[in-house]
Amino acid sequence: MSYKVTEEGNIATIHLDGEIDMDVTEKAKEVIFPHIDAGKEVHLNLSNVQYMDSSGISVLIESHQKGLEKNTKVIIKDVSKSVLKVIMMAKLEQILNLE
Amino acid sequence: MSAIAHQDHNEKKAFLVNSSSLKEVRIFCRQVFEKLQIQEDLKDELVLAIAEAAQNIVKHAFKNAADPNELMVVQISCENNKLQIAFYDRGTPVDPKKIKHREIDNIKPGGLGTFFIQEIMDAVEFKDGKKPWINHLVLTKQL
Repeated sequence: MSYKVTEEGNIATIHLDGEIDMDVTEKAKEVIFPHIDAGKEVHLNLSNVQYMDSSGISVLIESHQKGLEKNTKVIIKDVSKSVLKVIMMAKLEQILNLE
Repeated sequence: MSAIAHQDHNEKKAFLVNSSSLKEVRIFCRQVFEKLQIQEDLKDELVLAIAEAAQNIVKHAFKNAADPNELMVVQISCENNKLQIAFYDRGTPVDPKKIKHREIDNIKPGGLGTFFIQEIMDAVEFKDGKKPWINHLVLTKQL
């Protein structure tokens, strides 16, 4: 998994790239969580993530819940069809902020 | 159920029991499913189910294991359009009665892997592991 972060005002946009599985979840958390902890609105762009398993879904849930705790938002953007299918299988499409 | 008659096939591969192997497990599955001409959407689902089962071996059956040379074997076979995926490992014996996914409406991280496997596959069965194996999980799906 690789990533790119851009910041503009209070919004941190994080582009993740590759496959998100158990092997990379710690790295994903290290990239995402500090921005949420800093109170930034986080835009997670998943257009280049073609595979995500339950560990990746857990990162999305944790990020969302952390966002609520910190009174900010985590918005998941441009989800690929294959990842959206997994999000829907977990019945999270109404819970997570998907755009 | 698929309208295609998939050719009979049997292939297996051993992987080191660690999280870095999960990607290799997925690559192996995709290669086998290419040969079997399984349609794209179903292929993605099957790869997810298999990767989740392999992840459970790494995460749970070998939770306290330190041996970096331990192996797990994934065997994919197809006979008369019935797909069977078998997993063999020598980790802590699994008690099938203790395996359950979290309530799907109780939103929290974790506990989804087993749910995905059950959603995707027709049957999930733990069989007696024959020596040298301890755990023998079998997933089946009618194509």
